[in-house]
Amino acid sequence: MNTYIKNEITLMQFILVIHGLQVGVGVLELPRKLAETAGTDGWISIILGWILTTIASLIIIQVMKKNPHGSILELVTQNFGKLIGKLVTILFALYFAALSVIILIRESLFIQKWLLPQTAFPVLLLLLIIPSYLIVQHNIRVLARYSEFIFYISLWIFIVYLIPTKEAHLLNLLPVLKDGMKPILQAVHSTLLSFIGFEAAFFLYPFLRQKQAAALGIVVANTLSMLLFLIVTIAAFSFFSPDEITQFKEPVINMFKVIEFQFIERLEIIFLTYYIFVISTTALPLLFLTVFCTSKLTGRQDRHSRHLIWFFSALFIYVLMSSPTFQQNSQWQGKIANLSIFVAYLLPLFLWMFLWVKHLFQRRELH
Amino acid sequence: MNFFRKYNRTKNLHRPPISSQNQQKTPLPTFISKSVSENISMVHTHFTLAPDLIVKKMVIQQTGSHAALVYMSGLANQMVINDYVLTSLLFKEETKNKSEDLKVLLGHQQEATTWFEIENAIFQGNSVLFVENHTNVFIFNTPGYPQRQVGDSQLEPSLRGSHEGFVETGSQNIAMIRRHLPNLDLKIKEATVGKRGKTKISILYLADVANPEVLQVLEKRIQELDVDMILNTGVLGELIEDNPYSPLPQFIITERPDFAALQISLGRIVTVVDDSPSVLIGPASFTSFFQNIDDYGSRWMVASFIRLLRYVAFFIAVFLPSIYIAVISLHIEVIPLKLLLSIGESRDRVPFPPLLEAFFMEITLEVLRESGLRLPAPIGQSIGIVGGIVIGQAAVEAGIVSNIMVIIVALTAIASFIIPNYDMGSALRIIRFPMMVVASIFGFVGITIGFMIFIGHFIALESLGTPYGSPLAPIRFSEWKDVFIRFPQRTLVNRPFSTRATQLRRAKNNPSKGDKH
Repeated sequence: MNTYIKNEITLMQFILVIHGLQVGVGVLELPRKLAETAGTDGWISIILGWILTTIASLIIIQVMKKNPHGSILELVTQNFGKLIGKLVTILFALYFAALSVIILIRESLFIQKWLLPQTAFPVLLLLLIIPSYLIVQHNIRVLARYSEFIFYISLWIFIVYLIPTKEAHLLNLLPVLKDGMKPILQAVHSTLLSFIGFEAAFFLYPFLRQKQAAALGIVVANTLSMLLFLIVTIAAFSFFSPDEITQFKEPVINMFKVIEFQFIERLEIIFLTYYIFVISTTALPLLFLTVFCTSKLTGRQDRHSRHLIWFFSALFIYVLMSSPTFQQNSQWQGKIANLSIFVAYLLPLFLWMFLWVKHLFQRRELH
Repeated sequence: MNFFRKYNRTKNLHRPPISSQNQQKTPLPTFISKSVSENISMVHTHFTLAPDLIVKKMVIQQTGSHAALVYMSGLANQMVINDYVLTSLLFKEETKNKSEDLKVLLGHQQEATTWFEIENAIFQGNSVLFVENHTNVFIFNTPGYPQRQVGDSQLEPSLRGSHEGFVETGSQNIAMIRRHLPNLDLKIKEATVGKRGKTKISILYLADVANPEVLQVLEKRIQELDVDMILNTGVLGELIEDNPYSPLPQFIITERPDFAALQISLGRIVTVVDDSPSVLIGPASFTSFFQNIDDYGSRWMVASFIRLLRYVAFFIAVFLPSIYIAVISLHIEVIPLKLLLSIGESRDRVPFPPLLEAFFMEITLEVLRESGLRLPAPIGQSIGIVGGIVIGQAAVEAGIVSNIMVIIVALTAIASFIIPNYDMGSALRIIRFPMMVVASIFGFVGITIGFMIFIGHFIALESLGTPYGSPLAPIRFSEWKDVFIRFPQRTLVNRPFSTRATQLRRAKNNPSKGDKH
């Protein structure tokens, strides 16, 4: 309990950590994925996904209010006993570890594909591991400050991204609802995956200083991400023609290719390099949550750096043995997607219902 | 064993005679005795091989008792002793004064009873008077050790600030700060550090503004020091900083009393080290190293412009050579064709990879800078001309480095000199080299990773337990009025958060609840 009070984070940091978790590698591919399933109406799915996400995140806050001085791990331990508590801790640790492995490998794959095609894959991974270790080994406060700082210094990307839209045609978006609602609803699945990351509120809530504003904070974080997804998607849809967009794997990067200044060409290289910062705000909190769970498991709160070293060594050795590819990574992503949906959208609902029922019974017992 | 004994004997040859050594080892009594002659012999056995020690025996005219005045000839001012102490003691006729109180024409006069105090007093340049039948001694404040004149600060010259810089005497430095802050709340805590050096360290702070927790951290670190001596402020700073393995300075070291006073008024704590012409200011934040006293003396638009220049210079100093290396060696496609052609033309004759070329020039420049520093001022300037113009020009003509590389290295050097704080400027020069190496191997990705490591480090770093990155991380937009741009003075009503001051608003008496004064 003491660890939560000593490491308080502000509301803005809470918002921006969650927002950073949601905005990562996925954004680069989001317009294509939406266009593949829902055509140019894909942007409607984003709004639908946002509504679902807001509901789910409000439920998370409601659940966490029941036990404001502990994370979900303490909540589960209190309600279901120590054994199940340990089991849930292990499951969460594995879940976050899997997510962070996927993101780290995907990030290195991106770097290899676009920036350094000649460099060996393990070396690139090692490059990412070093700063990750240096930042995550500290407490949540440092991590929250990092996410906050990176958010503000990354705002320029957004402005530069809007430069190509002067050649965009909003007519590309019309007609709206040309194929009915069905493809839009199908595309909601991929937008939900983009919003994944707000479940970190399960762990961040006890660290938050202004707990009464937690609901507002998580809604703001989701809305911020939603606006970003929406603008990025609409810009891409109106810039490319409806048939053209599905041909690019990462349409967002291809949009940057158009921009050219007098002193610089190939702006997408600068953009992609800088995007490592943005991806790091996804990967680092996930890594932190992984070691947070494992150190909870061993009962020693001060062992973050040691667990990190183990984790990174295992990952590095794995990468040395095998050579990951985009396809394999996407397969993994597909596999963990359903689990993510369960953890982020269904688990809060179950927990909330359980606590509600328990509360009812307890009240009955009292009378 | 025999060998050892021989060794010991030869070693002892350089030491004072054994007899006096043995006598010195007999422990000193704590208190002095009533007899003057006994005390004097104790002084002689205690201060062996100290030819500058002067013991003057006399009879005091005021009371008629025997006495002895002891002082160090080099440390005490003999004129003061003659004119004010000896004249009053030897030539003043006996008055009807039976209170055994000696009348001396000196304002500062103390009494002491222990040998420990006497020893310290003599070494501080005071003169000590032993009087027959007295169990206490009189200590007259007659310091006369060599002192430098107060002059302009060498390292931090300024246009509008005061033209006095700190000198080597702690008490004078404190006086200079006090002249800027004549306030009852300016408190001074003193400590003596160093087993042999016995350096006097004074901690200055505003009692109702400085954060008591920060003060406690600083005091504890100073008290826990176990060293022989504190040579100067830099040594103290390195001994008590939070992370000695960081390239970044964690205390501001300044030679300017006005800057020190300003920082005290903002809630920071100033540590004055006796015998050192600079003071230590903490807790420091990253952005405070980019501020200068002239920012406040000149008009706000000019000050803001110069301050923005400094931040631009920071990026140039750290990243420019590495970006150039990355572009040339890995990302040639980023440059537009016209620019590429001119760069290619310039690099045409250079047989080395960009990293080697850059290292050659950078190291030449650093050597020049350091050698210019070590030479007397008139020669130092000519070194700059020889190095900068002759070597640069010749290297280009010989085809060892390209023209553009010379431009880049020169820009980088100028940029690192614009940083007002010497320590921060040097730190940036150091950070540049690893950046260049990663840039040459991994290109832009390497620079990004290097920058990420830098950001991670500076976010996690603390100075006296307060965040070093404030107000950038943790972000505090309200404080940005005095970070990148200096707003007009009227709007600067709050103290920075990074000092954790207990009173946020300046010039108002609004103590918060945390104030434990």
